[in-house]
Amino acid sequence: MASAPKRRPPIRSFINVAAAILVTAAVLYVAFFPAGPLPALGPTFNPTTGAWTMAADAQVGNQALRLHGLQQPVSVLFEANGTAHITAQTDHDLFLATGYVHARFRLFQMDLMRRQGEGRLSEIVGKAALDTDRFELQLGLLRTAQAEWSQLSASDPSRDALIAYAQGVNDRINEAEAAHQLDAMFTLLGYQPKPWSPIDSLLIKGDMTQTLNFTDTPLVMALLNKSLGADLTSEWFPVLPPNQQAPYDPGPYPKASTAPIETMGQVTDAAAQSADALYQRLAALPAGLISQGGASNNWAVAGAKSVSGGALLAGDPHLHLTLPAIWFQLTMDSPSYHVAGVSLPGTPVVLIGHNQHIAWSLTDAQNQQTFFYSEKEDKAHPGMYFWNGAWQKYRTVSYEIPVLAGQATHLDVKLSIHGPVISERGQTTSVWWAGNLPSQDLGVLFRVGQAANYQQFRDALRDWHSPTHNFVYADDVGNIGLISAGYYPLVAHGQPWLPMPGTGEDDVTGTIPYDQIPQVYNPPDHIIWSANQRQVTASYPYYIGTASNFFDPGYRANEIHRVLSQPGKLSATDMQALQTDTRDFLAAEMVPALLASLSGEKLTSTEATAVDFLHSWDYRMETSSVAATIWWHYWGWYLTETFQPWWKSRGIGVDMGEVWDGLTQDLETWTLRDPNNRVFSAPGIGSRSAGDAERKSFHKLIGDLVKMYGPDPRTWTYGRAHQRVLENVAHVTGLNYGPRPDRGDGNTPLAAGGYPSTHGPSWRMVVDWGTHSFQGVYPGGQSENPASAWYTNRVDTWWSGLLDPMLSADMAAPAVGTKTWSLRP
Amino acid sequence: MRITVLVLSGVIVALLGVLLGAWWTPFFVGAAFGLLIHRPAVAIPLGTVSGLLAWLLPLAAAQLRYGLGPTSVSLAEIMGFDHQGALPVVLTLFVGTLLGLTGAWLACAFWMLVRPQPR
Repeated sequence: MASAPKRRPPIRSFINVAAAILVTAAVLYVAFFPAGPLPALGPTFNPTTGAWTMAADAQVGNQALRLHGLQQPVSVLFEANGTAHITAQTDHDLFLATGYVHARFRLFQMDLMRRQGEGRLSEIVGKAALDTDRFELQLGLLRTAQAEWSQLSASDPSRDALIAYAQGVNDRINEAEAAHQLDAMFTLLGYQPKPWSPIDSLLIKGDMTQTLNFTDTPLVMALLNKSLGADLTSEWFPVLPPNQQAPYDPGPYPKASTAPIETMGQVTDAAAQSADALYQRLAALPAGLISQGGASNNWAVAGAKSVSGGALLAGDPHLHLTLPAIWFQLTMDSPSYHVAGVSLPGTPVVLIGHNQHIAWSLTDAQNQQTFFYSEKEDKAHPGMYFWNGAWQKYRTVSYEIPVLAGQATHLDVKLSIHGPVISERGQTTSVWWAGNLPSQDLGVLFRVGQAANYQQFRDALRDWHSPTHNFVYADDVGNIGLISAGYYPLVAHGQPWLPMPGTGEDDVTGTIPYDQIPQVYNPPDHIIWSANQRQVTASYPYYIGTASNFFDPGYRANEIHRVLSQPGKLSATDMQALQTDTRDFLAAEMVPALLASLSGEKLTSTEATAVDFLHSWDYRMETSSVAATIWWHYWGWYLTETFQPWWKSRGIGVDMGEVWDGLTQDLETWTLRDPNNRVFSAPGIGSRSAGDAERKSFHKLIGDLVKMYGPDPRTWTYGRAHQRVLENVAHVTGLNYGPRPDRGDGNTPLAAGGYPSTHGPSWRMVVDWGTHSFQGVYPGGQSENPASAWYTNRVDTWWSGLLDPMLSADMAAPAVGTKTWSLRP
Repeated sequence: MRITVLVLSGVIVALLGVLLGAWWTPFFVGAAFGLLIHRPAVAIPLGTVSGLLAWLLPLAAAQLRYGLGPTSVSLAEIMGFDHQGALPVVLTLFVGTLLGLTGAWLACAFWMLVRPQPR
């Protein structure tokens, strides 16, 4: 029997298949592959191994874990607020466990930081980060970290520590990958972290160095010089601060045989064009790669001036306030290491803290560590530069930069004797940066952590190079000290505040001898303080940087000194209060001058009310203060009124905000001591005095405030004008904290510059050796996981100006809510 | 009875696959439904439900064990949906559902194309 002939399938079957194929292809595509801003939806939202594992990761309970590489069991106790107490029986295990704990809570942050330093951000975010990667590879953090690692001798304890730490991080990476517990950001970005190496830890140290002291100030000075002229530039942006400051080391200083500081010369057109090209390039980089001036406080009070009879120490380093924070709080205990404080995730040491005998904190010293050199080239000598009377060949290093969803980019970096060439637009410019000097700063921190007295502390810091820091010290027998440890480059000749010729005459020839750098031990008035101000007086024999943009204008230091130097003894409570002091030293100087200038002036009722507020003000930048709002806006108006005409008439290509601190020092000085300075009579303005400019600024200001905040001055509270925000490190604004009204400004010890303010006290610590009380807090939490209770749990304490006790492991153990991890080999 | 066993087996296989990290399993389970049942009106809903259940049940377990509220809100923030914490949940279930649905649909469509067509 013949089979029945088949009929062709109906057309709708073909249409059905085509539709099914199309829809299925679309679904599978978005499930397997990233599409536009969307990650691959399948692996990302897989409920068991995708981003939802964030929920399980947020839980911290008692656990027994096996870690590869451990020699002995290790205990990790967590307080209810997340502070970790690591107790190990060997140093090796201590650092391994520290690596594991850091990675358990901060692996994504650590990976981002190493990627930034090694120029590998494009690999995960695409070509948007290519300029950053190129710059980082040119600057050379990776080369420096590699050199530091290769120079570590096999017997150096910090080599063992770095290896053990890397092992701990890798234990966590392996564990997280096996258990599908990698941070959700890895899942969302669709990549897995590569193994951690000791060089990665050194890169993170390099990141911090760059943030704190790689500056573009010589380029800015060159541009100002070109448009303002040498005379006005040297008058407005001098080497020594024009205003009254409070250096902590008043001398006497040793005699020095150093090249005299030259007067400002005129910058050529070619030099200015090159400086402008490089300045524009650096300005386009993301915030944080170029230091914009630091802001940190620390001080100490000797036992002789403290209520408890023991030395007091307070420190609050001001940094970009991020979530997660830059810090991770812990105690580290092993047979040879007992230290408590805050560490940088990615590094195996406590940077700020205390041990059984000493406590220390640091602020940025801000001396000049960045020098630009214009290399002499000519067409007859391609690939060469002229130095020390002969043509030298550039050394070249090549890199491949992987780019997400794009082709890898090749980069050749040329190196002269001065450092990497970072611009070839116009004149070829290379940079000498102290951060590129291989230095074993982690080893220094290990020795600081083991120091038992000032001599050991000071000896340890002898090898600290960059960034230069003001290390404050207080010990358990009442001594205090402050030493601005680091590399102070000495230039043979020339004008180091400008780009210099690279032909050899103006090279960096060495550093100020360690015994001659700024330092004080047990001063007669029993107090020491630093707040990024110039540490020494005008009689210090060495050039260490200019007043503008290298050093802070000094208002925080002045206020701290004012409070500490008052008669009577001080307590830890006083230290805590001073850390959150909102008194604006500059306002206390300038508001009386403004009010004096307005005396007899015809005022509107709104202006008269504003004046009344200023008259009764205590100069504190509190959120409820109306006068604080008036003052802050006034100072901006006064600066603009005075300098903007110059900026306009001279065509200055530098944003005024870039040199705000320098101009502020000038305006303060001239208003108080030289009210007829030519600056007030800008081109097109005519002859006038400081008082004329003050009055004009005030009238304009009040009109402006009415527009911004309404007609009733009583409602112009500072909280409406000033807010603070803690920014998520991955730039997810929804995971920020704030913006929220907050007190303080850039001049107050409670630093809160910027609107909204994103920088400030990243850690506050107060130590009283008399009562053996140690307290600290940072804004944020121990975990980078936004679903964790430890993501922002410390913010409220910090915001309120309170501190948490820094407990030892023994003290913390009986507390409620602790969790313990038992780590075993 | 046969259908019930088939459905239960399919859901269990899809669920096990997802639990083991093979998030795409519901697609193949849906396709198996399509090839074994042939009738789109039955196979496609079964594939859809199995995909939904395979992704829903682990999520529900995580909710009971850890609570997914902060995680869901965080994911929404990362994805730019502000505080809309429900959206990641909906998106997750949608992905699982679509995998099962498309698997079944594709298999049924091919079956209808290649099956013998009586005169």
